[in-house]
Amino acid sequence: MRATMLLASASLAAWIFGASSAVAAGQRIQLTGELVDTWCYISEIMGGSEAVLGSAHHQCAVWCAAGGIPVGLLSEAGDLYMVLKLGGDDTSNANPRILEIQSSQVTVDGELHERDGIRYLLIDEILNNDGIVNRSHEDFGVIPAFGVPQQ
Amino acid sequence: MRKWLLIIAGVLLPAHIASVDAAQSWNVTGEEEARFDAKVVDVLCELTGDCPADCGAGRRQLGLLDDDGTLILATKNFAPFAGATDELIEFCQQRVTVDGLFTSNRGARIFAVQFVRPEGGDWRRTNRFLNKWAETNGVDPAGKAKNTWFKRDPRVKEIIERDGFLGLGPEEDKKFLADY
Repeated sequence: MRATMLLASASLAAWIFGASSAVAAGQRIQLTGELVDTWCYISEIMGGSEAVLGSAHHQCAVWCAAGGIPVGLLSEAGDLYMVLKLGGDDTSNANPRILEIQSSQVTVDGELHERDGIRYLLIDEILNNDGIVNRSHEDFGVIPAFGVPQQ
Repeated sequence: MRKWLLIIAGVLLPAHIASVDAAQSWNVTGEEEARFDAKVVDVLCELTGDCPADCGAGRRQLGLLDDDGTLILATKNFAPFAGATDELIEFCQQRVTVDGLFTSNRGARIFAVQFVRPEGGDWRRTNRFLNKWAETNGVDPAGKAKNTWFKRDPRVKEIIERDGFLGLGPEEDKKFLADY
Protein backbone atom coordinates (compact mmCIF):
# COMPACT_ATOMS: atom_id res chain seq x y z
CA MET A 1 0.00 0.00 0.00
CA ARG A 2 2.80 2.38 1.02
CA ALA A 3 4.74 1.49 -2.12
CA THR A 4 1.65 2.11 -4.24
CA MET A 5 1.16 5.51 -2.61
CA LEU A 6 4.81 6.43 -3.18
CA LEU A 7 4.52 5.39 -6.80
CA ALA A 8 1.34 7.42 -7.22
CA SER A 9 3.01 10.44 -5.62
CA ALA A 10 6.02 10.08 -7.89
CA SER A 11 3.78 9.80 -10.94
CA LEU A 12 1.83 12.88 -9.88
CA ALA A 13 5.05 14.83 -9.36
CA ALA A 14 6.39 13.71 -12.72
CA TRP A 15 3.15 14.73 -14.38
CA ILE A 16 3.15 18.13 -12.68
CA PHE A 17 6.81 18.89 -13.39
CA GLY A 18 6.60 17.37 -16.83
CA ALA A 19 3.64 19.52 -17.70
CA SER A 20 5.14 22.66 -16.25
CA SER A 21 8.44 22.14 -18.08
CA ALA A 22 6.69 22.81 -21.38
CA VAL A 23 5.27 26.13 -20.15
CA ALA A 24 7.94 28.60 -19.16
CA ALA A 25 7.45 32.06 -17.75
CA GLY A 26 7.79 34.80 -20.32
CA GLN A 27 10.37 37.54 -20.14
CA ARG A 28 9.29 41.20 -20.06
CA ILE A 29 10.73 43.01 -23.06
CA GLN A 30 10.53 46.31 -24.93
CA LEU A 31 11.38 46.28 -28.61
CA THR A 32 11.46 48.68 -31.52
CA GLY A 33 11.14 47.30 -35.01
CA GLU A 34 9.09 46.79 -38.14
CA LEU A 35 5.99 44.61 -38.38
CA VAL A 36 6.74 42.18 -41.19
CA ASP A 37 5.40 39.29 -43.22
CA THR A 38 7.26 36.34 -41.70
CA TRP A 39 6.77 33.88 -44.55
CA CYS A 40 8.28 36.08 -47.26
CA TYR A 41 11.03 37.28 -44.91
CA ILE A 42 12.20 33.81 -43.89
CA SER A 43 11.54 31.92 -47.12
CA GLU A 44 12.88 34.65 -49.43
CA ILE A 45 10.38 33.31 -51.92
CA MET A 46 10.24 36.68 -53.65
CA GLY A 47 13.88 37.60 -53.32
CA GLY A 48 16.23 38.69 -50.57
CA SER A 49 14.88 39.45 -47.13
CA GLU A 50 15.68 43.17 -47.46
CA ALA A 51 13.33 43.42 -50.45
CA VAL A 52 10.33 42.14 -48.52
CA LEU A 53 10.31 44.86 -45.89
CA GLY A 54 8.86 48.35 -45.80
CA SER A 55 6.98 50.12 -48.56
CA ALA A 56 8.19 47.80 -51.34
CA HIS A 57 6.39 44.89 -49.79
CA HIS A 58 3.62 46.61 -47.86
CA GLN A 59 0.77 45.44 -50.05
CA CYS A 60 1.95 41.83 -50.02
CA ALA A 61 2.48 42.04 -46.27
CA VAL A 62 -1.16 43.07 -45.89
CA TRP A 63 -2.24 40.22 -48.17
CA CYS A 64 -0.30 37.70 -46.11
CA ALA A 65 -1.52 39.08 -42.78
CA ALA A 66 -5.12 38.94 -44.05
CA GLY A 67 -4.49 35.36 -45.15
CA GLY A 68 -3.42 34.40 -41.65
CA ILE A 69 0.33 34.12 -42.10
CA PRO A 70 2.01 35.09 -38.82
CA VAL A 71 3.07 38.71 -38.55
CA GLY A 72 6.46 39.29 -37.00
CA LEU A 73 8.34 42.12 -35.43
CA LEU A 74 11.81 42.52 -36.91
CA SER A 75 13.80 44.30 -34.25
CA GLU A 76 16.45 46.93 -34.82
CA ALA A 77 18.98 44.24 -33.87
CA GLY A 78 17.71 42.07 -36.73
CA ASP A 79 15.92 39.48 -34.62
CA LEU A 80 12.50 38.22 -35.69
CA TYR A 81 9.66 37.79 -33.20
CA MET A 82 6.40 36.04 -34.08
CA VAL A 83 3.48 38.09 -32.75
CA LEU A 84 0.88 35.93 -31.01
CA LYS A 85 -1.08 38.48 -29.04
CA LEU A 86 -1.85 42.18 -29.10
CA GLY A 87 -3.19 44.11 -26.14
CA GLY A 88 -5.00 41.20 -24.58
CA ASP A 89 -6.44 40.00 -27.89
CA ASP A 90 -5.25 36.48 -28.66
CA THR A 91 -6.12 36.76 -32.34
CA SER A 92 -2.99 36.09 -34.36
CA ASN A 93 -4.75 34.71 -37.43
CA ALA A 94 -5.62 37.81 -39.49
CA ASN A 95 -6.00 40.20 -36.57
CA PRO A 96 -7.68 43.32 -38.06
CA ARG A 97 -5.74 45.62 -35.73
CA ILE A 98 -2.42 44.19 -36.91
CA LEU A 99 -3.54 44.48 -40.54
CA GLU A 100 -3.97 48.19 -39.97
CA ILE A 101 -0.39 48.69 -38.80
CA GLN A 102 1.41 46.17 -40.99
CA SER A 103 4.89 47.37 -42.12
CA SER A 104 4.93 50.12 -39.50
CA GLN A 105 7.84 50.77 -37.19
CA VAL A 106 6.59 50.34 -33.65
CA THR A 107 7.90 50.26 -30.14
CA VAL A 108 6.16 47.69 -28.00
CA ASP A 109 6.11 46.36 -24.48
CA GLY A 110 5.35 42.71 -24.10
CA GLU A 111 6.31 39.23 -23.10
CA LEU A 112 8.92 37.11 -24.84
CA HIS A 113 8.83 33.34 -25.10
CA GLU A 114 11.38 31.23 -26.93
CA ARG A 115 10.92 27.65 -28.06
CA ASP A 116 12.79 25.50 -30.54
CA GLY A 117 14.60 28.36 -32.17
CA ILE A 118 11.61 30.69 -32.59
CA ARG A 119 11.02 33.88 -30.62
CA TYR A 120 7.37 34.54 -29.83
CA LEU A 121 6.09 37.93 -28.70
CA LEU A 122 2.92 38.69 -26.76
CA ILE A 123 2.47 42.42 -27.17
CA ASP A 124 0.79 44.08 -24.21
CA GLU A 125 1.03 47.63 -25.48
CA ILE A 126 2.19 49.58 -28.50
CA LEU A 127 4.12 52.44 -26.98
CA ASN A 128 4.85 54.23 -30.24
CA ASN A 129 3.96 53.89 -33.91
CA ASP A 130 6.03 55.81 -36.44
CA GLY A 131 4.15 54.36 -39.40
CA ILE A 132 6.04 53.04 -42.40
CA VAL A 133 9.52 54.53 -42.32
CA ASN A 134 11.35 52.03 -44.53
CA ARG A 135 10.95 53.50 -48.04
CA SER A 136 12.27 50.31 -49.61
CA HIS A 137 10.34 50.89 -52.86
CA GLU A 138 12.99 53.43 -53.75
CA ASP A 139 15.49 50.56 -54.01
CA PHE A 140 13.34 47.57 -54.89
CA GLY A 141 10.16 48.87 -56.55
CA VAL A 142 7.09 46.85 -55.60
CA ILE A 143 7.55 43.24 -54.53
CA PRO A 144 5.90 41.27 -56.10
CA ALA A 145 5.78 43.38 -59.24
CA PHE A 146 2.35 42.07 -60.21
CA GLY A 147 1.05 44.05 -57.25
CA VAL A 148 1.51 47.29 -59.17
CA PRO A 149 -1.91 48.38 -60.41
CA GLN A 150 -2.36 48.24 -64.16
CA GLN A 151 -2.74 51.71 -65.66
CA MET B 1 8.46 36.58 -58.72
CA ARG B 2 9.08 33.49 -60.85
CA LYS B 3 8.67 31.32 -57.78
CA TRP B 4 5.35 32.94 -56.93
CA LEU B 5 4.05 32.44 -60.42
CA LEU B 6 4.92 28.76 -60.06
CA ILE B 7 3.08 28.58 -56.76
CA ILE B 8 0.01 30.35 -58.07
CA ALA B 9 0.08 28.13 -61.15
CA GLY B 10 0.28 25.13 -58.83
CA VAL B 11 -2.81 26.28 -56.97
CA LEU B 12 -4.69 26.74 -60.20
CA LEU B 13 -3.75 23.33 -61.55
CA PRO B 14 -6.58 20.81 -61.56
CA ALA B 15 -6.17 18.38 -58.69
CA HIS B 16 -5.87 15.39 -61.00
CA ILE B 17 -2.81 16.87 -62.70
CA ALA B 18 -0.79 17.77 -59.64
CA SER B 19 0.34 15.01 -57.30
CA VAL B 20 -1.97 15.01 -54.32
CA ASP B 21 0.28 13.73 -51.59
CA ALA B 22 3.89 14.77 -52.11
CA ALA B 23 5.70 17.96 -51.22
CA GLN B 24 6.30 20.32 -54.12
CA SER B 25 9.43 22.42 -54.18
CA TRP B 26 9.00 26.17 -54.01
CA ASN B 27 12.76 26.86 -54.05
CA VAL B 28 12.62 28.66 -50.73
CA THR B 29 15.69 29.37 -48.62
CA GLY B 30 16.91 26.36 -46.65
CA GLU B 31 14.22 24.23 -48.21
CA GLU B 32 13.69 20.70 -46.89
CA GLU B 33 10.88 18.49 -48.05
CA ALA B 34 9.39 16.67 -45.09
CA ARG B 35 6.65 14.28 -44.10
CA PHE B 36 6.07 13.57 -40.42
CA ASP B 37 3.49 12.74 -37.79
CA ALA B 38 2.60 15.40 -35.25
CA LYS B 39 -0.10 16.67 -32.96
CA VAL B 40 -1.85 19.88 -33.96
CA VAL B 41 -1.47 22.35 -31.09
CA ASP B 42 -2.31 25.92 -30.19
CA VAL B 43 1.06 27.70 -30.06
CA LEU B 44 -0.01 30.24 -27.44
CA CYS B 45 -1.26 27.39 -25.26
CA GLU B 46 2.02 25.50 -25.60
CA LEU B 47 3.98 28.56 -24.53
CA THR B 48 1.83 30.02 -21.79
CA GLY B 49 -0.64 27.39 -20.59
CA ASP B 50 -3.57 29.55 -21.74
CA CYS B 51 -5.42 26.74 -23.43
CA PRO B 52 -8.97 27.06 -24.75
CA ALA B 53 -10.35 23.62 -25.55
CA ASP B 54 -10.86 24.51 -29.21
CA CYS B 55 -7.30 25.81 -29.83
CA GLY B 56 -8.76 29.29 -30.15
CA ALA B 57 -11.41 28.36 -32.73
CA GLY B 58 -9.28 29.64 -35.60
CA ARG B 59 -8.13 32.88 -33.99
CA ARG B 60 -4.70 31.60 -33.04
CA GLN B 61 -1.62 30.38 -34.86
CA LEU B 62 -1.28 26.62 -34.77
CA GLY B 63 1.78 24.45 -34.47
CA LEU B 64 2.83 20.88 -35.00
CA LEU B 65 4.24 19.08 -31.99
CA ASP B 66 6.37 16.28 -33.37
CA ASP B 67 7.22 13.03 -31.63
CA ASP B 68 10.46 14.52 -30.28
CA GLY B 69 8.50 17.28 -28.56
CA THR B 70 9.68 19.94 -31.00
CA LEU B 71 7.16 22.70 -31.60
CA ILE B 72 7.03 23.58 -35.29
CA LEU B 73 5.25 26.74 -36.38
CA ALA B 74 2.87 25.93 -39.25
CA THR B 75 3.19 29.16 -41.17
CA LYS B 76 1.85 28.53 -44.65
CA ASN B 77 -0.68 26.45 -46.53
CA PHE B 78 -0.96 25.64 -50.25
CA ALA B 79 -3.06 28.66 -51.23
CA PRO B 80 -1.47 31.96 -52.27
CA PHE B 81 -0.69 34.38 -49.44
CA ALA B 82 -2.44 32.32 -46.77
CA GLY B 83 -1.53 30.63 -43.50
CA ALA B 84 -2.17 27.21 -42.04
CA THR B 85 -4.71 27.80 -39.26
CA ASP B 86 -7.78 27.28 -41.41
CA GLU B 87 -6.31 24.01 -42.67
CA LEU B 88 -5.46 22.56 -39.28
CA ILE B 89 -8.02 23.91 -36.82
CA GLU B 90 -10.41 20.97 -37.22
CA PHE B 91 -7.57 18.70 -36.07
CA CYS B 92 -6.94 20.59 -32.81
CA GLN B 93 -5.13 18.27 -30.35
CA GLN B 94 -5.29 15.42 -32.87
CA ARG B 95 -2.47 13.57 -34.56
CA VAL B 96 -2.01 14.11 -38.26
CA THR B 97 0.56 13.37 -40.91
CA VAL B 98 1.74 16.46 -42.76
CA ASP B 99 3.72 16.82 -45.94
CA GLY B 100 5.36 20.01 -47.05
CA LEU B 101 8.43 22.20 -46.84
CA PHE B 102 10.61 23.55 -44.11
CA THR B 103 12.28 26.85 -44.80
CA SER B 104 15.16 28.00 -42.62
CA ASN B 105 16.79 31.39 -42.56
CA ARG B 106 18.43 33.70 -40.04
CA GLY B 107 18.01 31.14 -37.28
CA ALA B 108 14.29 30.53 -37.79
CA ARG B 109 12.79 27.30 -39.15
CA ILE B 110 9.13 27.24 -40.12
CA PHE B 111 6.90 24.85 -42.03
CA ALA B 112 4.60 25.16 -45.04
CA VAL B 113 1.91 22.49 -44.82
CA GLN B 114 1.08 21.47 -48.36
CA PHE B 115 -0.87 18.31 -47.56
CA VAL B 116 -2.43 16.91 -44.40
CA ARG B 117 -3.82 13.51 -43.52
CA PRO B 118 -5.75 12.86 -40.30
CA GLU B 119 -5.23 9.50 -38.61
CA GLY B 120 -7.21 6.94 -40.55
CA GLY B 121 -8.19 9.54 -43.15
CA ASP B 122 -7.17 10.56 -46.64
CA TRP B 123 -4.61 13.07 -47.82
CA ARG B 124 -5.90 16.45 -48.76
CA ARG B 125 -4.32 19.56 -50.17
CA THR B 126 -4.21 22.50 -47.78
CA ASN B 127 -6.29 25.01 -49.68
CA ARG B 128 -9.46 25.05 -47.61
CA PHE B 129 -8.75 28.68 -46.90
CA LEU B 130 -9.95 29.52 -50.41
CA ASN B 131 -13.39 27.97 -50.02
CA LYS B 132 -13.81 29.47 -46.58
CA TRP B 133 -12.87 32.88 -47.95
CA ALA B 134 -15.27 32.45 -50.86
CA GLU B 135 -18.15 31.51 -48.59
CA THR B 136 -17.41 34.36 -46.20
CA ASN B 137 -17.29 36.89 -49.01
CA GLY B 138 -20.19 35.70 -51.14
CA VAL B 139 -17.98 34.40 -53.95
CA ASP B 140 -18.74 31.20 -55.84
CA PRO B 141 -16.48 28.54 -54.26
CA ALA B 142 -16.46 26.66 -57.56
CA GLY B 143 -15.28 29.68 -59.54
CA LYS B 144 -11.78 31.00 -60.20
CA ALA B 145 -12.23 34.34 -58.47
CA LYS B 146 -11.27 32.86 -55.10
CA ASN B 147 -7.76 32.16 -56.39
CA THR B 148 -7.06 35.90 -56.44
CA TRP B 149 -8.75 36.42 -53.08
CA PHE B 150 -5.95 38.76 -51.97
CA LYS B 151 -6.90 41.36 -54.56
CA ARG B 152 -10.62 41.05 -53.83
CA ASP B 153 -10.65 40.87 -50.05
CA PRO B 154 -12.67 43.79 -48.62
CA ARG B 155 -10.32 44.21 -45.63
CA VAL B 156 -7.32 44.44 -47.92
CA LYS B 157 -9.05 46.72 -50.41
CA GLU B 158 -10.05 49.16 -47.70
CA ILE B 159 -6.48 49.44 -46.41
CA ILE B 160 -4.86 49.69 -49.84
CA GLU B 161 -7.39 52.24 -51.11
CA ARG B 162 -6.80 54.37 -48.04
CA ASP B 163 -3.03 53.99 -47.57
CA GLY B 164 -1.89 53.06 -51.07
CA PHE B 165 -0.03 49.95 -52.14
CA LEU B 166 3.17 51.47 -50.73
CA GLY B 167 1.41 52.25 -47.49
CA LEU B 168 2.61 55.83 -47.67
CA GLY B 169 -0.60 57.42 -48.93
CA PRO B 170 -2.17 57.68 -52.38
CA GLU B 171 0.10 60.59 -53.39
CA GLU B 172 3.21 58.43 -53.00
CA ASP B 173 1.57 55.78 -55.18
CA LYS B 174 0.95 58.39 -57.89
CA LYS B 175 4.59 59.51 -57.80
CA PHE B 176 5.75 55.91 -58.05
CA LEU B 177 3.43 55.12 -60.94
CA ALA B 178 4.47 58.26 -62.82
CA ASP B 179 8.03 56.95 -62.94
CA TYR B 180 7.13 53.29 -63.41
